[in-house]
Amino acid sequence: MNLVEKILARAGGRASVEPGDIVVADVDRLIMHDLSGYLTAKVFEDEVKLPIRHPERVVMVFDHHFAPATERQAAVLKSNREWARRHGIHLFDCGSGNIHNVAVRRGLIRPGMIVVGSDSHTPVHGVLGALAVALGNDSHAGTVLPYGKAWFKVPHTVRIELDGVVAPGTSPRDVALWLVGQMGEGSMIYAALEFAGPYVKALPFWDRWLFPLATVDLGAKCGYVEPDEVTEAFAAGLPGAPYDRMERSDGGEAATVRRYDVGGLGPQVACPPTVGNVKPVEAVAGIPVQWAELGGHGGGRLEDIRLAAAVLRDRKVHPDVRFNIVPASREVFAEAERSGLVLPLHEAGATWFPPSTGSNQAANMGAMAAGEAMISTHARNFPGRNGSSEAQMYLASAASVAASAVTGHITDPREITADLDRPGSR
Amino acid sequence: MRFEGRCWKFGDNIPTDRLVKSRYVFEPMEEIVKHVLEDLNPAFPVEVRPGDVVVAGRHFGQSSGRAIATKALRATGIGCVVAGTFARTFYRNCFEIGLPALEIEGIADLVSDGDQVGVDVARGTFTNLTTGVTRTVPPADPFLLEMLQEGGLIKLAARRPELFGSEAVRSS
Repeated sequence: MNLVEKILARAGGRASVEPGDIVVADVDRLIMHDLSGYLTAKVFEDEVKLPIRHPERVVMVFDHHFAPATERQAAVLKSNREWARRHGIHLFDCGSGNIHNVAVRRGLIRPGMIVVGSDSHTPVHGVLGALAVALGNDSHAGTVLPYGKAWFKVPHTVRIELDGVVAPGTSPRDVALWLVGQMGEGSMIYAALEFAGPYVKALPFWDRWLFPLATVDLGAKCGYVEPDEVTEAFAAGLPGAPYDRMERSDGGEAATVRRYDVGGLGPQVACPPTVGNVKPVEAVAGIPVQWAELGGHGGGRLEDIRLAAAVLRDRKVHPDVRFNIVPASREVFAEAERSGLVLPLHEAGATWFPPSTGSNQAANMGAMAAGEAMISTHARNFPGRNGSSEAQMYLASAASVAASAVTGHITDPREITADLDRPGSR
Repeated sequence: MRFEGRCWKFGDNIPTDRLVKSRYVFEPMEEIVKHVLEDLNPAFPVEVRPGDVVVAGRHFGQSSGRAIATKALRATGIGCVVAGTFARTFYRNCFEIGLPALEIEGIADLVSDGDQVGVDVARGTFTNLTTGVTRTVPPADPFLLEMLQEGGLIKLAARRPELFGSEAVRSS
């Protein structure tokens, strides 16, 4: 069986499973953020009315709000806080960071786990060799909270092999955006995606992150990188008890293999209205932007902040642009401070925001007026998600975001500096 | 699970954000339902009638796992939703909240907005009553159809809790 099949068989108490089987399996971790958690808690209290079977497995992270801007938002957070305390679940309040980064950094995700959550980017945890799947509120309220279980259809698996050396100034974020454009949104519906090949296997942990993150927009159920020494070394450094379940595939080869050559690839931009509308940066260079942001599920990593600092060295943010930096976790902010990145970016004109998921859905920042545009490391660019339906969101690498913040329009970072291929930014 | 009504046709890759915009998520359902899909067809939330059928292209319900998108669509009174393909969390949510859904490859080529259509979700049959075109596909998994018949996952779990205390529902 491959990794996904092995985990589902173990958690379903079965000797083996095959694609197409429906399995009811034990859930090891449920993660919710302040918006999905509120909706799930409401369904659970209104319609289910049972105790939580395993409160120690349930995590809520307030990441869409680093501070409530309205009375209604404050009431949502208050209700979440009271619900979390009443049931004894893990709670990470405003300012902790992005849900997925916090869950990993605090040692709550382990290789071999089944991880579920309503956030559609929950599959990112496949980067640690977990089976991570986004479910809806009613699965969480109806079976995960009261029984500790969820139903799953065993997916077929597609292995995506990436090989080649990208052009200088091109980051793994560019490769991940390009891949979605090449494969097409919704092209991999219901599949499990194994990200493999020499390009992926050579990446450090936080750069691998960007590939399972892309599974939702490909339509897939989950994505993962087969655990190896990079996974082991990263997992060994996490807080908490040592893990004892590093599952590995033992046959059950992926039925389908898709190979992509990333050789010579340059920076990419996902243009509105959808994440699959991906173009080389040259194709959209020159479009004015009023907002630039490092943040969200795909950004605000230390790697992003390093790239931005390299671009902004001896340069200033353009007066027509607000460049906002949202660390993905408190740990990232501390690491940025220790690396001497905080003050130079501040002095270059960038604004540091609290650890959170930033402008995602514009819950407390990131709303745009009609006719405005943002370039960001966010995961989504659907119209209306950040204020006006007539505003435009462009998704790019941290280097392209920072370069655009310098010029005031979408810019190929290679035109600003040749100093982008630093350790950890390959 | 048979429905007959006006076809409301939508395109490919429609995200849940366009079914229910983020700003309405915490509003009462009576308010949310007035805005479902309004950016793509302002007439839809105003003129939709009970039993009407939403037909979409590929990858309908892209992205968010929020069941509120499926609940809002159900609250408009439509009988069912038919699409070329569904985003998987959206498809799962349809059955879990009791909104009948049927996947028919290429369905968008078989209908125009405003056609009268008939759908039997349990049998997997589709008829465009305006043009006479028909299609038959394998219906959804029996486990999912049972969930629909119960009115959703929470009701199914309440009536048959042993499903979630035992090991497996069904093997292929």
